[in-house]
Amino acid sequence: MHAHAQVSPDSRRPRGRYVLAGAAVATVALAGVQATATAQRTPKAGVVPLVVYSAQGYDKLETEDFSKKYHIPVQLNDNSTGPLLTEIEASKNNPKWGLLWVDGATAFAELDDQHLLVRGFEPNVHWNSLGKAALPADKSYVPTGVTLMAIMAYNKQKVAHPPRSWQALLSAKWRGQVGMNDPSQSGPTYPFIAGIMQNLGGIAKGKTYFSKLKANGLVVNPTNGPTLAALASGQINLALVQSSAGIGAYFSDHNIAVKYLNPVTILPSVIGIDAKAPAQEQKEAELFASYVLSRAGQKVMKTGDPTGDSLYYPVLSGIAPRGILPPLSGVKTQSINPYVWGPKENAINSWFDSSIVK
Amino acid sequence: MATLQHDLPPPAALEPPEGCGPSANRTGSFDRRRLDRLRWDPQLAARGGLAAFWALLAALIVLPCACFLMLAVSPRLFGQGSQWFTLSYLRGVFTGTTAVSLVDSLWVSAAAAGIGLLVGIPIAWLANRTLLPGRRFIAGAMWLVLVLPSWLPASGWERLVQPDGVMYRIGLDFPFITSAIMGPFGVVLLLGLRCVPFTYLTITAALRGLGQEYEDAARTHGAGRMASLRLLIPILAPAITSAIAIGFAESVSDFGVAATLAYRANFPLATYQLFANVNGFPPSFPGAAAIGWLLVGSVAVPLALQARALRGRAYRVLSGRSRPALRRRLSPRGLGASLILVIGYFSVALGVPGFGALSSSLLSDYGASLQPTLVNYRAVFENSGLSGPLGRSLIYGLITATVTVALGFLCANLLSRRGSASGALLDFLLLAAVALPGVVFGAGYIFAYNLPALSHLGLSLYQTTTLLVVAYIASSMPTNARVLVGAVSQIDPSLRNAARAHGASATRAWARGVLPALSRPLLMAWLLTFSGILLELPLSQLLYAPGSPPASVAIEDNLGNYHFGIGTAQAVVAVGLAFAVVGLALGIFRLVAPDGWRHVGEGVNE
Repeated sequence: MHAHAQVSPDSRRPRGRYVLAGAAVATVALAGVQATATAQRTPKAGVVPLVVYSAQGYDKLETEDFSKKYHIPVQLNDNSTGPLLTEIEASKNNPKWGLLWVDGATAFAELDDQHLLVRGFEPNVHWNSLGKAALPADKSYVPTGVTLMAIMAYNKQKVAHPPRSWQALLSAKWRGQVGMNDPSQSGPTYPFIAGIMQNLGGIAKGKTYFSKLKANGLVVNPTNGPTLAALASGQINLALVQSSAGIGAYFSDHNIAVKYLNPVTILPSVIGIDAKAPAQEQKEAELFASYVLSRAGQKVMKTGDPTGDSLYYPVLSGIAPRGILPPLSGVKTQSINPYVWGPKENAINSWFDSSIVK
Repeated sequence: MATLQHDLPPPAALEPPEGCGPSANRTGSFDRRRLDRLRWDPQLAARGGLAAFWALLAALIVLPCACFLMLAVSPRLFGQGSQWFTLSYLRGVFTGTTAVSLVDSLWVSAAAAGIGLLVGIPIAWLANRTLLPGRRFIAGAMWLVLVLPSWLPASGWERLVQPDGVMYRIGLDFPFITSAIMGPFGVVLLLGLRCVPFTYLTITAALRGLGQEYEDAARTHGAGRMASLRLLIPILAPAITSAIAIGFAESVSDFGVAATLAYRANFPLATYQLFANVNGFPPSFPGAAAIGWLLVGSVAVPLALQARALRGRAYRVLSGRSRPALRRRLSPRGLGASLILVIGYFSVALGVPGFGALSSSLLSDYGASLQPTLVNYRAVFENSGLSGPLGRSLIYGLITATVTVALGFLCANLLSRRGSASGALLDFLLLAAVALPGVVFGAGYIFAYNLPALSHLGLSLYQTTTLLVVAYIASSMPTNARVLVGAVSQIDPSLRNAARAHGASATRAWARGVLPALSRPLLMAWLLTFSGILLELPLSQLLYAPGSPPASVAIEDNLGNYHFGIGTAQAVVAVGLAFAVVGLALGIFRLVAPDGWRHVGEGVNE
């Protein structure tokens, strides 16, 4: 074995050429990609493209219909809620989004507190009681529908008499049979935890409740899907999940039924508009929100994702939910104040992860 | 230092070109010959090229990572807090769950790299140096292991062994298997299985460059099999240490296993803690950056070991005098053990995840009835909107792989020059980049390339496909270079010099002398990058241009919107497509590449 490799001057000489050749390949390839991207982003005269960040299952159809009707190009960032919010926070010094449409008002309250949302906009619509309960005082965001978090899904072949209250879940009868989601992975789960805490009279009492639930064998899965899979496989018999997920599961497994335990927390799907977007884009975003709350827009919402997000309760008078949804008459609903509970989200989720998940 | 000196052009090259110095024609009328010499000075071009290369690396990797990591000490830099300077986030990572997760990540990654080595080296040797039946399928199966996103095997294992999982439902009541797999052992095992292909690729590339003459020399001097091995293993040291380093870095940055099996096992890993910081609302980028610093720091350990192992040695063994290695016939006992090893590995690495993915995609009811149906696949092919994103990801993969291999080859060239400061810096830089999870790159790219100042200059890269592809290249290049460095280290300059001595130009000499020896490693590196990009998720989620979602985002959209079966069916289709491309590329290489290219380093039967 030689101690030193022999390097002839000649062996180094062509490296510059390779670098230049490599750079040329990269430049040509990226120029091609950029040209395609630029062509896609060219707006029509008089309007600017509306950039919609959305995690809704029906958003593609909704934005396509809106574009057709108003001849406004829409660029849709269809993603999970987590990455959308990460992107917004990372780009807040120079935001590129126009409108955000996801479930849960707590994130919007946080964005509003950072002055990142347009305030004072309210579409000219007739809200029902759910809509009025979800509308913020400063009108910094707009509710477009409501799901419930959490409802109890169960296998009716195995559970003839499901529990009737939140406290009943702590009884020995349901030991090791209850499952729920992890709030640090499932966005809608934090409002559920906050709702339980609010209903019981405070954070401390809520922590005691979840600690008892853990002592009774609570199974925590990351999100709605795995929790429902655990229900289907028989690992658990009671799944605390979002109403749209629980009711949607019925389409694939007819043995799954749902029950609403009082009080159940409402989880609005919400539109907010970027306060730093160009004025024209803000106008278009307001038009989009109004369109979503029109009869045509609500029709798309109700039909666009029939086994998923379309299973919502409307927030407008005169608009009925899909027939499969149980009526809310006799169900006690509650709202959490997102401006109070939003800032506590990280601390409560951390506590849940370190004390309940572990 | 010796290599650094070699980087400098000979003194003659520093002389001003004729016509430009004091003796230049003062009327400025250069003759044609003088002008030509001015236009192309190879030494100057080499130095300019290297400078451009380092600038490119800085823009692609250093700047975005630095922007993200700086937030750990200066959150206000990008509006993520009120402090211009603080050490509180860095102090925070040494306490509580984060500290535990970091320690877990370090030992788990070291163990996984060890498993990768223990399993990968024998399989590479069996595939390249023996007449093992079915050896031709090993490379393809390794590619399938690499193509699978790491969460898929983890989900497959969970589905099999979890309480009320398939194992229990078919009557196998083995709780000890559940507790073993759903714990640290399972995490190490899964990450270790994933390290095997990296070891296999690097060792295979090295074995192909290792001619029979070294083994013959040992045997001639009376060495037995073990003594021969003691001679050969040090020659393979660059590939072995590279495999350890890349296995460690890939494991420490893995998120798929951390977010699935490790999470379910209540066994926190650092990448999950980093994700929890970024995914919370509002996200704590400074907290995530502090964890990022420690991940970057962790790669110093394998790098130091590598530097110590390779110090002062040369590994240029592939020259015109290299002789084809002999493929040996295995003894019956050796054959049995080898088959158990190879079949066992692929059963565990491919069988279980394959079962998990296929069973999820073939069940329409969350697994309640175990009744297979094609309803999810019908949904995929009828109306899932996957064709556009899949086509897009294919194009992104093609572009990314092509550019990445070109840049990765240059990196491997620099890395192969042991002893130079620039090589050591590059080594650390690339491995540190491997150790950082994709979400760090994604957020770093937003911080670095969405500055208001850039927008004012008309440079709006954020939310363009260009930036996404650039980020893909940046995130793929470190692994790519690592895979190539073993093969590149073995190239003896005599291969090129021989062609030069016979009058070939520099480019032609490289194409005729070196390219044949590197063609297969380059193809492998290309396929590795392509496969990785096709289903890449964290960068895609944060950087894709609105309206142009890649395949992984479309699949995740279904998985996150209660359409679990359809999402899994889409993943199976995408993995199938990736594997088809791998097969196609290998087939084209077999048909089109000159005979000599295909047989470089290939053994001959005993």
